[in-house]
Amino acid sequence: MKPDLSVEIAGIQLKNPVMTASGTFGCGREYADLVDLKKLGAIVAKTVTLEPRKGNPPPRICETPSGMLNAIGLQNEGIDRFIEKEMPFLKKVGVPVIVNIAGDAVSDYVELCRRLSSVGDVAAIELNVSCPNVKAGGIAFGMHPGLVSEVVGACRRATGLPLIVKLTPNVGSVVGIARAAVGAGADAVSLINTVIGMSIDHNTFQPRLASGFGGLSGPAIRPIAVRMVWEVARELDVPIIGMGGVGDALDAVEFILAGATAVAVGTANFINPRATIDLIDGLEEFLIARGMDSVRDLVGKVKMDGSSPTC
Amino acid sequence: MNAIYRLQAEVLNKEELIPGVFRIKLFSEEISRAAKPGQFVHVACGKGRDFILRRPFSIHRRLSGNAFEILFQVVGRGTEALSEVRLHDFVDVLGPLGNSFEIPPDLSSALLVAGGVGIAPLIFLADELNSRKVRFYAIQGATTQQRLFCYMDLKRLGRQIFATTEDGTAGHCGRATDLIHEVIKKSAPERIYSCGPEGMLKVVADVAAAFGIDCQVSVERRMACGLGACLSCVCQTRDGYRLACKDGPVFRAEELSWKA
Ligand SMILES: Cc1cc2nc3c(=O)[nH]c(=O)nc-3n(C[C@H](O)[C@H](O)[C@H](O)COP(=O)(O)OP(=O)(O)OC[C@H]3O[C@@H](n4cnc5c(N)ncnc54)[C@H](O)[C@@H]3O)c2cc1C
Ligand SMILES: Cc1cc2nc3c(=O)[nH]c(=O)nc-3n(C[C@H](O)[C@H](O)[C@H](O)COP(=O)(O)O)c2cc1C
Ligand code: FES
Repeated sequence: MKPDLSVEIAGIQLKNPVMTASGTFGCGREYADLVDLKKLGAIVAKTVTLEPRKGNPPPRICETPSGMLNAIGLQNEGIDRFIEKEMPFLKKVGVPVIVNIAGDAVSDYVELCRRLSSVGDVAAIELNVSCPNVKAGGIAFGMHPGLVSEVVGACRRATGLPLIVKLTPNVGSVVGIARAAVGAGADAVSLINTVIGMSIDHNTFQPRLASGFGGLSGPAIRPIAVRMVWEVARELDVPIIGMGGVGDALDAVEFILAGATAVAVGTANFINPRATIDLIDGLEEFLIARGMDSVRDLVGKVKMDGSSPTC
Repeated sequence: MNAIYRLQAEVLNKEELIPGVFRIKLFSEEISRAAKPGQFVHVACGKGRDFILRRPFSIHRRLSGNAFEILFQVVGRGTEALSEVRLHDFVDVLGPLGNSFEIPPDLSSALLVAGGVGIAPLIFLADELNSRKVRFYAIQGATTQQRLFCYMDLKRLGRQIFATTEDGTAGHCGRATDLIHEVIKKSAPERIYSCGPEGMLKVVADVAAAFGIDCQVSVERRMACGLGACLSCVCQTRDGYRLACKDGPVFRAEELSWKA
């Protein structure tokens, strides 16, 4: 018998726990030649903002040990074009569509939620709170529990759609931020966004990214992400979408054992455009090899031997 | 839209043209059949999980309908790993990607300007121009005589080829762009195609504009997906940022906003 890969997150039924990480998969269309999009658990589209954004100057990326830095700068064509151009394609794919949004102010998020609520076929909204809040002097929403609470609460009142809050790891206590998100009405959390990093070219003495620093992703951040998933899962009763260096089924199993209900694949799509599909197949094989019936039986099943960690 | 393939291509041949510059022949009917001059392949270098990103290489030549070649210089970790492949190894390639040099059906004459390893895509283009009976001239620039890769191929395919070397070991002593005015006057090309260092491309673009000749250049940007999804590879153009992997790598020279 085939194991059951289906999971439920924020009230959305997924046929398997594998999604695409925002910003790494476009809106799916670009991968359609290579990936059978219908097989995905869900598609998470790249961040969309109210107005079009130009993004940062190049170079926007560089490879680093076991990872990469990016500073794309949320380049996108704005919500109007997204609804008009990308949604019809996404609808046709027939898998849950999660739309990731960002703004400079709470009112931007609220307006985006309103707009998306009336589109139909949006399964959930993911709030990217890693961007600077202009009113709060540029500190990222996601770095302050009070700001998270405010933006999530306002979105909660603006839409009936499930809300997923995507948390930044660039904080002292991710649990504190997650608690604020859940308290304000988040249905699920995504962990983690990229880790702030920098790389400098020893020939030119210049940063390798035009914007100086950027977000680190890929296998290099996986242990950070797994730890954060585990911490949040231990403290809070909220479904978690785990991400950060997920490249294959065994990586996914790590996140699920730590407490994630689903995983998202980001940077791994670049080296292996079929990483999501290979992961789904691999997960099935993993469960078969262990005689397990359902992926849900793995969630949070890490065996801790009791001793609490000290430094 | 054209199909994109991701496959394991067998290495059918490998040559080290000079130390650190390699030409590798890969078997793939799909990519070879679909490829157009100017397009590139995105290659997973090395084995296992060593590399986070693929490396882009122009399609250098198409061979007998079922194989193609890439020509590359070892400049870092990825190209180094790729240079270590052996005959009959399989290389993970994604392609063909990007747009291509535009060849108008009624084109009758052209000028190719190649700088260094920028010769790579221009050989595929030269083959295509030759088979379409487009008369072309070429200026090939390199630092030294040994690095005038494929010079004999150009000679065979084109009308007249001008070599330049920075050390004067062959042809004109200097840079490819030194000869461009003279060769344009002599050959009156309807179109200029160029690939090489960005500084050279800018000069070619300026001269083409001054003569009022259509000019297409192939540019390089760091790439992640190669598919137009991640927005890593932007080029500044007159209509804002455009993607080198999808809208390019070939751009009309007047579209690009060059760095001062
Ligand atoms: C469309 C296109 C076609 C190309 N065709 C050829 C070709 O035919 N022959 C050839 O020798 N080279 C070509 N290049 C350049 C080639 O991609 C780089 O030399 C190669 O990526 C270097 O990788 P590395 O790991 O050895 O170098 P490293 O410097 O260690 O690479 C570090 C990172 O920077 C990227 N990078 C470094 N240099 C470049 C560059 N010039 N352009 C884009 N990304 C770069 C790498 O891909 C990698 O992600 C092409 C580039 C592009 C964009
Ligand atoms: C090139 C690139 C672009 C990204 N763009 C976005 C984005 O627009 N919105 C967002 O919420 N996260 C974005 N991310 C973060 C990813 O969605 C993901 O959280 C992070 O990369 C960790 O996962 P990974 O290691 O599997 O890539 C981006 C990541 C990369 C590498
Ligand atoms: S490399 Fe991803 S968009 Fe060009």
